[in-house]
Amino acid sequence: MHKRRLQLLFMLPAFIVYSLFVMVPMLGSFYFSFTDWNGLNARYHFVGINNYISLIHDAEVWIALKNTIVFAVLVTLIQNVLSLLLAILVDGSSWVKRFLRVVYLIPALLSALAIGYIWSYLYNPVLGVINMALQNIGLGHWAQDWLGDPKWSMYSVVFTNIWQWMGLSMIIYLAGLQAIPGDLYEAADIDGAGNWERFVKITFPLIAPAFTVNILISIIGSFKVFDIIYVMTKGGPGTATESLAILLYKKAFNFNEMGYGTAIAIVMFLIILFISIFQLRILRSRELDA
Amino acid sequence: MKKTLTSSLVAAALLLIWALIVIVPLLILISVTVKSPKEMLDSTFAFPKEWMWSNFTEAWQTAHMLTAFGNSLLITAFSLIGVVIVSAFAAYPIARVKSRLTGSFFLYFIAGIMIPFPLSMIPLYKLLKMLDLINTHQGVILIYIAITIPFSVFLYTGFLKGVPKELEESALIDGCGPLRTFLTIIFPLMKPVTASVIITNSLTIWNDFLIPLLYLQARENRTIPMAIFSFTGQYNSNWAMIFSAIVLGALPLVITFLLLQNQFIKGIVGGAVKG
Repeated sequence: MHKRRLQLLFMLPAFIVYSLFVMVPMLGSFYFSFTDWNGLNARYHFVGINNYISLIHDAEVWIALKNTIVFAVLVTLIQNVLSLLLAILVDGSSWVKRFLRVVYLIPALLSALAIGYIWSYLYNPVLGVINMALQNIGLGHWAQDWLGDPKWSMYSVVFTNIWQWMGLSMIIYLAGLQAIPGDLYEAADIDGAGNWERFVKITFPLIAPAFTVNILISIIGSFKVFDIIYVMTKGGPGTATESLAILLYKKAFNFNEMGYGTAIAIVMFLIILFISIFQLRILRSRELDA
Repeated sequence: MKKTLTSSLVAAALLLIWALIVIVPLLILISVTVKSPKEMLDSTFAFPKEWMWSNFTEAWQTAHMLTAFGNSLLITAFSLIGVVIVSAFAAYPIARVKSRLTGSFFLYFIAGIMIPFPLSMIPLYKLLKMLDLINTHQGVILIYIAITIPFSVFLYTGFLKGVPKELEESALIDGCGPLRTFLTIIFPLMKPVTASVIITNSLTIWNDFLIPLLYLQARENRTIPMAIFSFTGQYNSNWAMIFSAIVLGALPLVITFLLLQNQFIKGIVGGAVKG
């Protein structure tokens, strides 16, 4: 392994495939974001930063950005609080707990497409099981057009996304919990610490790595969210659930504004990059302190 | 641990509620596929009186599920084989040799973890057209290998760094070439990471919808998610058909998961926590 030629040879296949299908297209995005390329015509022109200027003045971009942020914040907060709670509750070796872990994880095995359809059916205002159930228990006035009403559609999509990923997030926390040495808790018991104190002083600091991973996965995943929204609402009603990825897809492949689409992609990338670096800084320093 | 009765009751209630929230939609999914539409309307929540299997056979035929299954299997299998081979090979010099060359390659590879797919998706369309790979299995397989390389190289490198060098050094002294050492000694040692790489990536690839939606539209090349998607255009709200196709498409992963729970969970966790 000391010869450079040999090292290169080992890395070459991965290098070629990865460069050609990830790096080159990515650099292409930077290039095309300065053009008026429409995807159909072979010819295109340089337009400088025009795409970025129209992007700033495009109300739809701001709506998509706001929607994406709302989606990301809701998903990250609710999912992490609940999944950590579930992880603490299913930590143990009884068969019930092991069974529940398996059950909670099943939605993570299904495609976002499948889950989108399942919940579209449940949310359906007429045939939908949710409204039917509400009527059966005498809460008919709570029935809503869950996906068709802009007041509710975002929350409905957010809930569906949480439904899918709760189990995965729980399993990651569980792995973190099981790595905590048991004698720490015993010592705390001797000191007479209560449940809450045990959580704040031992559990929370020591699951920092799992916390970092989960928060990063949910935020980055949320900023890229496409499938589940595309299937359930296509971004609608109106633009009520339109995320950046949905807008990007629409601009590029429905309206053939490929150049403009790449500009949106780059804004999206910069946001994800910024958040990840910022988060890793904060969360990793918490890990070190612990 | 001292536990009061109320706190364990609250805990049990929470666990039960989330279990119901997960299970009830899945039961409804299955009941829609086996109940007649009339029974579904009359008694949504009741256990099916008559099991109707015809939805499955009809979905199987009209959605061309057999072709879709074949395509999904082929694409997933070749992508996984591809990413395992190229990433394991690339990780070996990166983990073993500390030099500027291997260091920069490592950074170059893992930079991809930060690149969201939408950033390359539009030029990728042009590239595939140029290479005549649009609407082909090969094109999609190459994309899957490429986008899973960063994380897989990262996992392999991390694991290899923890493997002592003695084994391979004695093999090298015995006159075993580097390639043979890698294939006969290192690669078999990496089984646990290979399992992680395969499990996490198989979930992503088997369930992916966006990439086939963009680059694999032709009917004869459709994957399962695309077959289900195209199906909904034809039978606007024929939920029995859609749900049958969903159940069929999900079965392989769900069954593998139920059979290999522990390996599966370890694989997912190994894949996530190392990140």
